[in-house]
Amino acid sequence: MTLFLGALTIGLILALLALGVYLSFRIFNFPDITAEGSITLGAAIAATLLVRGYGPVTATAAGFAGGVAAGAVTGILHTKCRINGLLSGILVMTALYSINLHVMSKSNVPLLNETTLATQAEKIGAAVFGGTADLNVFGWEVGVRDASMLLAVFTLISVLGVALYLFFRTNLGTAIRATGDNPQMIRAQGVSVDFILILGLGLSNGLIALGGAVLAQYQGFADVQMGIGMVVWGLASVIIGEALVGSTSVGLLITGAVMGSVLFRLLVAIALRWGLNPNDLKLITALFVFAALVGPQLLQRLTARRPVITSNPA
Amino acid sequence: MLELDNLQKTFHPGTPNEVRALQGVSLTLDPGSFLIIIGTNGSGKSTLLNAVAGTFFVDTGKIHLAGHNITRWAEHQRARLIGRVFQNPFSGTAPSMSIAENMALAARRGRPRGFGWALNQRLREELRERVRSLNMGLEGRLDNAIGSLSGGQRQALTLLMASWLKPELLLLDEHTAALDPKSADQVIRLSHEIIQRDKLTTLMVTHSMQQAVHLGDRLIMMHQGRILSDLRGADKARAQPDDLLRRFEEIRQRDRFSPSVAELLQRAYV
Ligand SMILES: Nc1ncnc2c1ncn2[C@@H]1O[C@H](COP(=O)(O)OP(=O)(O)O)[C@@H](O)[C@H]1O
Ligand SMILES: [Mg+2]
Repeated sequence: MTLFLGALTIGLILALLALGVYLSFRIFNFPDITAEGSITLGAAIAATLLVRGYGPVTATAAGFAGGVAAGAVTGILHTKCRINGLLSGILVMTALYSINLHVMSKSNVPLLNETTLATQAEKIGAAVFGGTADLNVFGWEVGVRDASMLLAVFTLISVLGVALYLFFRTNLGTAIRATGDNPQMIRAQGVSVDFILILGLGLSNGLIALGGAVLAQYQGFADVQMGIGMVVWGLASVIIGEALVGSTSVGLLITGAVMGSVLFRLLVAIALRWGLNPNDLKLITALFVFAALVGPQLLQRLTARRPVITSNPA
Repeated sequence: MLELDNLQKTFHPGTPNEVRALQGVSLTLDPGSFLIIIGTNGSGKSTLLNAVAGTFFVDTGKIHLAGHNITRWAEHQRARLIGRVFQNPFSGTAPSMSIAENMALAARRGRPRGFGWALNQRLREELRERVRSLNMGLEGRLDNAIGSLSGGQRQALTLLMASWLKPELLLLDEHTAALDPKSADQVIRLSHEIIQRDKLTTLMVTHSMQQAVHLGDRLIMMHQGRILSDLRGADKARAQPDDLLRRFEEIRQRDRFSPSVAELLQRAYV
């Protein structure tokens, strides 16, 4: 049960990663690799500030801000310095590796006795549930720590998901979506595509760094290696989410990305439980994304062979 | 008022692919004037409109519009003054967004965009009325993705979007060329109505001699990056498709000479 709750919680935390990837990969169609560095940056900044005695909210917000800055740099490299998008992300990601080491001044920062969002959630949970004894939820024994953690993360993601959905319906938010959809159109409406891309990549990496900051507090440490493979991870979540909701509406896709992240994490937990070698996890994730990318094309090619009579699509 | 002063634009200068697309175009257009641009293929008509819209900067020359020197303004800055419909019906709208959202984006053309709702009840009512005026039955489909519409419908909506905030200048680049004849007719009629009603200063490129003689109050013919003839007032009103075609034939004749001879002749006679 603890394992299940843990998977749910991490899945929800990494939904922030999925939302960031959804923004860059899907809305902007921009293959942003910065994510691998910015998730670690968020964790590194938050953990370091916590150790220095800053409050958890300040530390988490600073992690978010770090991600915004990293994403904005990638956006500037791409738009102002005309560097290929993928390469811009790789440059920033590589630079972030050193920066993260500098921020942490070592490769791993443990959070032992610091007050974090996690310990605060526990405290609130203990007050609400009246003690730290195990709870009985539908006949399952559930630890108060795990339950309060899950509830806190669930609340956070719900609020952020709704906020993001509402943001996409504002003047600025619709301009962001239109920029990804048709840059020529939005430029003709007087919007600087460069500015929007910088802003959007900032927001995307801010969300991802926020995920890193929360993850560090949940697992109790920040590690310089924690970002490796995260882009593919987020992409897998987004793809699962799209399959789950099967729609192009923004609200459903945001919900889908969150659900995809949770489902993906659960699948991973089950696979590991069944004896999957953890070393193979990234290989299998990559294969999954590969299949999800190639599958639809393959299917199309197979069905296209059959002569079908359709009305003229134009 | 639009003023173009000796615009020159060369693509890929100094390479074997060098194209001198604009070779000194000057033009003054009065407010409310509706200018038709015709010309041979590759004569620089689209390049001229792109230069005005700011798709790229001109090599030399100046562009003034509505009292501003916009020569060095970026494309998105010029969009504050300019509404635009492209030749490709896919270019002017965001396909995965709804009709209402597309219109809402156009309702703020060139204005700051913050955290206010893109769509509110009042705006929805207003845009429903405008969409209803198209008589395409789209007012009941405001929440459908624009990508699901036909080229003609998209072009009509793009026109509505471009003219929503009465631009200082409307640019139409063969905006019916990709449509079937019936849709093209519909969009042309709509363009005419809007331009007349709002007295929009307009540059319209067309390859249709019918459109060229029936629309607009002034007509220029372009060839090899230059304006060859400029008909206004009574001359424009009198022009018949045959006259224009004859003029094209003359150009073709002259092109049989070597380019340098043609150049000399042109200097001497045009
Ligand atoms: N962006 C560009 N890059 C290179 N060459 C271009 C570009 N745009 C137009 N041209 C060239 O400039 C010339 C004029 O093109 P254009 O203005 O599109 O002609 P048209 O009068 O048919 O609209 C053509 O030879 C075309 O190939
Ligand atoms: Mg053209």
